[in-house]
Amino acid sequence: MRPRWLKVFSDLTDNWLRTALVVFSIAVGVISIGVISGAYVIISNDMSASYAANHPMNVELRLSTQFDKNLVDTIRNMRGVAQSEGRNIFAIRARVAGTTQWTSLDLVGIENFKKVQINLLKPISGQSSADKKQLLLEKKAFTTLNAPVGSTLEFELSDGTIKTLPVVGIVQDQTTGAGDFLAPPFAYISTDTLTYLGQKDGFNRLYATLSAGNNDEEQLRQMAANIKDKVEKSNLIVSRSRISKTNEHPMASTVQAILGILLALGILILFLSSSLIANTLNALLNQHLRYIGVMKLIGGRQNQIIAMYITLILAFGVIALLISVPVGGQGAYALAAFIADKLNFGLLGFRIVPLAFIIQIVIGMAVPLLAGLVPVLNGSRITVLRAISGETARESGSGPAADLRRETAWERFSTGLAHELSHRGFHIPRPLLISLRNTFRRRGRLMLTLFTLTMGGAIFIAVFNVRVTLFDYIDAIGRYFQADVTVTFDRPYRLEKVNLSGMKYPGVTQVEGWAFADAAVLFPDKTVADNLVIMAPPVDSKLVEPILTAGRWLQAGDEKAITVSESILDAFPALQPGQILRLKINGKEDDWKVVGIFKFVGQQGTIAYGTYGYISRYTNLVDQSISYRVVSSGGHDAASQQKLAEGLDKYFRDQGFHVTEARSGKSTLATASESLDILVTFLLVMAMLTASVGSMGLAGTMGMNVLERTREIGIMRSIGAVDLEIMRTVIVEGVVIGLISWFLGMLLSFPFTYLLSTIVNLAVFNSPVDVHFTWVGYLIWLAVVLVLSALASVLPARNAASLTIREVLAYE
Amino acid sequence: MSIPAPLYSGSSAGTAQPVPSAVMPLTPMIDIRGVVKIFKNAAGEFKVLKGLDLTIERGQFVSIVGKSGSGKSTLLNMITGIDHPTHGQVIVNGTDLYAGKNESSRSLWRGRNLGIVFQFFQLLPMLSLLENVMLPMDYARMYDFDERPKRAMQLLTLVGLEHQARKLPLAVSTGQQQLAAIARALSTDPPLLVADEPTGNLDSHSSDHIIELFDQLVREGKTVVMVTHDPSLTARTNRNIIISDGELISEAVAVALPLLHHREMLAVTKQAKSLKISPAQIILQRDVHVESFFIIARGVVEVILQGKNEEDVIVSRLNPGQYFGEVELLVGGMSIASVRAAADTAVELLALQRDDFHKLLKESPITEEALGRIARQRLQENKSINRQGLPQAGLGKNNNASSLA
Repeated sequence: MRPRWLKVFSDLTDNWLRTALVVFSIAVGVISIGVISGAYVIISNDMSASYAANHPMNVELRLSTQFDKNLVDTIRNMRGVAQSEGRNIFAIRARVAGTTQWTSLDLVGIENFKKVQINLLKPISGQSSADKKQLLLEKKAFTTLNAPVGSTLEFELSDGTIKTLPVVGIVQDQTTGAGDFLAPPFAYISTDTLTYLGQKDGFNRLYATLSAGNNDEEQLRQMAANIKDKVEKSNLIVSRSRISKTNEHPMASTVQAILGILLALGILILFLSSSLIANTLNALLNQHLRYIGVMKLIGGRQNQIIAMYITLILAFGVIALLISVPVGGQGAYALAAFIADKLNFGLLGFRIVPLAFIIQIVIGMAVPLLAGLVPVLNGSRITVLRAISGETARESGSGPAADLRRETAWERFSTGLAHELSHRGFHIPRPLLISLRNTFRRRGRLMLTLFTLTMGGAIFIAVFNVRVTLFDYIDAIGRYFQADVTVTFDRPYRLEKVNLSGMKYPGVTQVEGWAFADAAVLFPDKTVADNLVIMAPPVDSKLVEPILTAGRWLQAGDEKAITVSESILDAFPALQPGQILRLKINGKEDDWKVVGIFKFVGQQGTIAYGTYGYISRYTNLVDQSISYRVVSSGGHDAASQQKLAEGLDKYFRDQGFHVTEARSGKSTLATASESLDILVTFLLVMAMLTASVGSMGLAGTMGMNVLERTREIGIMRSIGAVDLEIMRTVIVEGVVIGLISWFLGMLLSFPFTYLLSTIVNLAVFNSPVDVHFTWVGYLIWLAVVLVLSALASVLPARNAASLTIREVLAYE
Repeated sequence: MSIPAPLYSGSSAGTAQPVPSAVMPLTPMIDIRGVVKIFKNAAGEFKVLKGLDLTIERGQFVSIVGKSGSGKSTLLNMITGIDHPTHGQVIVNGTDLYAGKNESSRSLWRGRNLGIVFQFFQLLPMLSLLENVMLPMDYARMYDFDERPKRAMQLLTLVGLEHQARKLPLAVSTGQQQLAAIARALSTDPPLLVADEPTGNLDSHSSDHIIELFDQLVREGKTVVMVTHDPSLTARTNRNIIISDGELISEAVAVALPLLHHREMLAVTKQAKSLKISPAQIILQRDVHVESFFIIARGVVEVILQGKNEEDVIVSRLNPGQYFGEVELLVGGMSIASVRAAADTAVELLALQRDDFHKLLKESPITEEALGRIARQRLQENKSINRQGLPQAGLGKNNNASSLA
């Protein structure tokens, strides 16, 4: 090997710590981008692919009356239908035998598990099918109930009877309830078990898949309309219909939005990592200036020197890639698996994503090259005289070649300010002055470090603000759920009866019966544009405090009038209050006037409010209701509400009512909050990742600063500085950088909050929401950045303190 | 111009104060005993200091001289506590620097007990001159917080930099930087100042200024130890310690035979036999064969001739660094005078055997020539005395000459 390549090799190997620092700087960015781009590709591909592999239904009809196998066969024989199946889905309360906590489950009755062709179940443990009086749990239900195979669940029927079923298997259902944040956990029984659980035989849910065009929304809509027509011709009432593409997971757009944010963060981390690399390479080249001078002295040409250092940088890149490509690949799959687990979809198995692999290689080689090019070119241009005269060391100590120069404006300001303060009796201790002024000595390096830390901080703070925004929004949604408990019966009861009975329960101050109707919103061509759940409280109800975006709320005397949530605008973008929507309720089509539009969580589908008086008449349930809102004078916190719900549940049952469910007002929101928490945690992890890249940058910067200032540390030692003073000088500098970054991050967090909130809210709620800010994020980030910057400085500080003066002053 | 006095009053609780030198026991300022320093590297072990013994008294202005690689900076590192000896003891200002002290505690000790002046000034570039001077007081926690700027300003005024106080080091000349470094070294009022080539990077004007400052510090009771290459500076110190190849050259040899190379001086130091002579004891009788060249290391010797009445007449008194016996060894014949220790002092002599003496002269013709010239001059003086007769029992006019012996 030629001597100059030997030198390159020795530069790689002679200082492992430095090599590790450079490799690490490169690897951080490459790993991050590898993880994120890999996860992006895996999720984009696998989410829908694995969804499609489970043969999801294309058309789902909810019927308010039972139907039998004949209808299923009739639908299957329709032109364009590939498969059809019936299910019986009903809500029930369950608990693990021997425990007291009830959980609401949706039980899915399946006629023959072996012949299921739609919404396939993926076995996870135990049996994959349930015989009579056996139960399969969906993964989410298994997690919620913590009921393993072999355990027994108790079910409470509407008449209060308790029935038990053994859990014989755990399955994953990626299709039923997909896309619904608020869907309860599912469990599966054979239809043979229905009567045991007090249910009627037959089905209430019809699934169909299409033989063609099952990814074409128009065709799906048309087929859904045809199937619905067919069903309704059998005198059955379709309360709700839904279409779903085979190759598109219902959450795909949400996940794409989240992945978009991730990708943006990935690119940001890449930038941060680039600045880390630039800093590290700059410092390395600075250390090498003398060698470059010597090489030039003995005949080295500029091109040869550039080639040597470019090779060195490429070697750093290759080493970084050897580490980061496998780590990035594994990380990508782990991240994808995490998201898949949270959103309940499967992955197609571990694999190297070629795109991510190529991106990593390009970035691992190109970014260090770009970051190192300027320092290399500058370094290679140094004159022999300057390199070997020690002038390059001038900055870190008054060397022999130090020329007299004018102080810069900043230097004059800095010293002048300290003297002025001192003159006014405010003395800044000199060791602190050293830390403060050292902070601003390498301004380029400082800027890059601040950039990384500030970005990390801004995102960190913004995530907290986004979280508050989301939860404030959920709280605002809580204005639609003001009652403490909603009691649902399996049949309508007269208002007066329930009122009379309910008001006798201790603490209950109000019992309000609401009417309900499921409606299909029709396009002019009669196809279903959207499904509505119309809730109808009494017109003077205080239990709904709507957030109106247009029009007015309902008034007494309103007939065939509704207010509708703003997600209706997806189907009717130009809808204005006063305009008409054609609704089909219980098979009857009518024109309804939209009097107002209000904000609501979009993912739950569109909801509408009507007046009790009219809707109860329309549904032939005058003075009756199956759902009652109960308000108590007791506490309105989740625990009190839960206690009240349990009390009312027992109370009404004891009074002979057939209770399906008594649910606390807060629990609905809690489910939504839980889902959002996953999202926020995820964002927070990304913010922490950005922050850690930032703190790594700081650690690198501090390490380089200490390396360059060893002579000064020796001087401090020689004039009396003890270990603690030296460490304090370094750590305070790190903390000052941290504090500056906190301040800048605080400023930057405002636009970041708006940006992130808009993206997340559009993805989650389908509507932008008002942004809220919280001091929590600012305070936590302040604490985090102080701790991170102190920690990032501790190692360099310890190194600084451990240097002996002889090492750093080198007399001879 | 006088050095700012230590500020003993008005100090806050917990801040250390300098101990007035008046109450210090009169131990030597520096006492180095059997110091060996061995460096180890890939090529093996390298003994830089080979068992040094050295004592420097308080109030001395001492220069340490040696060629590059001789070990002088290592010796300085031992004195300042910057490096530690492989063997031996270093006691500075009454403190054994390497007994139970770690690097950090030595730093604090150093901050309070000695000031260091470096060849390249080593001011911290981010601090103004005033702040640089205040820094050791901060580290050593000496003087009240409010007093520190005043004291630093006094010191900068002392070195003539009061108008540059707010400037950063890079904005003043190198000479001014070194003056600021001296002010910094004095900031905790240490009794000992150690300077490593303090004028190595300065013009002659600045050098003079700094040496004058050192002179003044010594006059006011400080001990100054300075490493230098510059013979014009060594001439201005009380004492000149020469180190060669890790060993100290006898100061008497260095004074007596200044034209020798350090290597040759060291050889003489090693070859010469040390003789202890009691007060008034005869060292050399007249008219006997002389077999050694004598250099006075300590004490005073008297050169005696017989007067007209057979009484002893002291024709010359010789001090440390002077020598006798060279005339007989160079010219031949018997001794031309008697030599004895002065009545009031014990004497220590270094005696170089005839063969070693001639070998030395052979290696150093310039020394041979110088000694020959002095020998001829002394013979001339002797003849003149013999012709004119001895003065009455007293010193001859040549009492500053090296010898008549």
